[in-house]
Amino acid sequence: MITSTTPPAADPESSLRPRRYGIAIAVAALVVLALIASSILNYVYLDTIPGRASLYGLLTVALITLGTYILVRAYDRDRASRRKHLIRAGVLIGLGVLLWLLVIDVFLFTQSAGPGVAAICALACLPTTAFGLLVVRRMDRNHKEPWRLVLVAAAWGAIVATSLVVWGETIWEASAQRALVPGPGLDTSLAFMAGILEELAKGLAVLLLYLVMRNEFDDVVDGIVYGAAVGLGFNFLESISYMTNVYSIFSAEGFGWVAAGIQWYGRQVLGLFFGHATYTAFIGAGVGIARQLHGRRQKVLAIMAGFIVAIAGHFSWDAWATVFPIQNTLFGLVEIHLRTLIMTGPFTAALIALLLFGIRYEGQNLLEQMRKEAGTGQGAILPEEVPTLASPWQRLKQRLQAFQRAGPRGYLRVSRLQTAQLDLAMERWHRERKEIDTPLEAEEQLRQRVMELRHWVAA
Amino acid sequence: MSTTSYDQLRTLYRTLLVFATVGIVILGIGLVQFVYFEPPGQASGVQARIVGIYQFDPTTKQTIDGDRSEFPRTVEFAAVVDWSSIPSNLIVDARWYDSFGSIEGQVGPGTAADLANDTVIPVEVPQGYHYVLPGRYTFVVERLSDGVPVEVLGRRFVVVDRS
Repeated sequence: MITSTTPPAADPESSLRPRRYGIAIAVAALVVLALIASSILNYVYLDTIPGRASLYGLLTVALITLGTYILVRAYDRDRASRRKHLIRAGVLIGLGVLLWLLVIDVFLFTQSAGPGVAAICALACLPTTAFGLLVVRRMDRNHKEPWRLVLVAAAWGAIVATSLVVWGETIWEASAQRALVPGPGLDTSLAFMAGILEELAKGLAVLLLYLVMRNEFDDVVDGIVYGAAVGLGFNFLESISYMTNVYSIFSAEGFGWVAAGIQWYGRQVLGLFFGHATYTAFIGAGVGIARQLHGRRQKVLAIMAGFIVAIAGHFSWDAWATVFPIQNTLFGLVEIHLRTLIMTGPFTAALIALLLFGIRYEGQNLLEQMRKEAGTGQGAILPEEVPTLASPWQRLKQRLQAFQRAGPRGYLRVSRLQTAQLDLAMERWHRERKEIDTPLEAEEQLRQRVMELRHWVAA
Repeated sequence: MSTTSYDQLRTLYRTLLVFATVGIVILGIGLVQFVYFEPPGQASGVQARIVGIYQFDPTTKQTIDGDRSEFPRTVEFAAVVDWSSIPSNLIVDARWYDSFGSIEGQVGPGTAADLANDTVIPVEVPQGYHYVLPGRYTFVVERLSDGVPVEVLGRRFVVVDRS
């Protein structure tokens, strides 16, 4: 039944946003301080090539942080000044990436395997990681995340999170190797190290997105998407690092490329969705659930729960993967797959369960809001459009029909109209649940945008 | 607010808390595993004297030149242990670990007296390889209890260059 409702006014507690931004600034400041301290300590005490890379990489991290901030905020500005901000962001990120590649190539991979090998490894990992990001983004069937934020999340995972863990892992590893008995005890300690430090570094990105980009962070599904994107970014750089490392170790024996290829398959094909993507997606799930909870205690518990599952999943793989011995026979190939399935499969299955439940929860609520909006008679969503908008397949069918009628432009226009209508339903949902801090005018603007797009499509 | 929606969010929240409980159990098992292999209160105060790490000639089984911490990958090397520095009834062994944590050479376990003639412990070239793999190697003299290494009595690190 379609009923007419008027959404309540925006949450009167308008101080919510500045408080949130304050926390975000504090977290970002801590990250920057940690990076600076880590780089200086690496340089002074480790006296190694990675230490220098870390120090020289600081400028890169600063450029990318500033660039991504300008980029994500650019979309909140009016069209006239957006272009200027996008160009600024593009230049800063471009400079940062170039500098980073230079640092990585010259000081890290060049030393171990050479820039050519590093470039080939990076090129090999690009399509698989891009495929992973594409799949992860498409997981949100009802309301896809903007590419810019998905890419920002992946960039954080690749560049900032990996830089953050360098010093912590170096100290932990060096201390453990000097103090513990080599073997299972040391392996367990190093598994705790990787689980705790790497998940904390990756999780910070999800937490910052939640604090800064609340309008694009709707629920558990969004959290899983952002978390998985951070994990895929981290996995990208880690894969390159491992591939170049094993290449340099085994190349003199004549099978450097085989060793690098095995690493690529294990990390970029078999483990693409099972490893880092799954672990960090749990952090995202926790943050996403917290986003919709009202009590502070519950919010904190949800976020902590996400981190605990991520750390436990990561730890269990690092600590117990060797429990499954891989034979040096053809059956070893089967065993490698079985090991991944048995060790990480349960975590991925649990995550998929959360994702499916989240998609259903989101879908039901969007449907309810679309019906209510249609019931207002304002024309942004028409009653006959509701069944189509509620089904991803029906929406695709409608876009394809538009494509047949008017080509790619028709497809794009209908796609934009559908997205705007879903944005409106999402806005209504958050307002009804009192979990939004934008004024009611924002909703009216969305409605106006839908009307404009509707005229555009009709034209 | 729809009651159904709220209940669904609570279901998600509670499901995550159940997963977190499983996570805590996993981390707890990890902690128990760590304590089992690194039992507290195992410091005996005994120090094994590692005389040095030397280039090793596999044909004569003799060490060459002086003590070093870095070797090219084409050279084999060995640790020399003074077993008399350890009480003779202590069950010990000595092992080489490569950068992947694999054992690449070992003597023992046995009492220090049993191992008195095995003073030179070379790194083994892995089967099917021409030379040792590059990376960081760890040499340890360990004390065992019930067949499990529980304490490191002496330790040295060696870097094998890639070139």
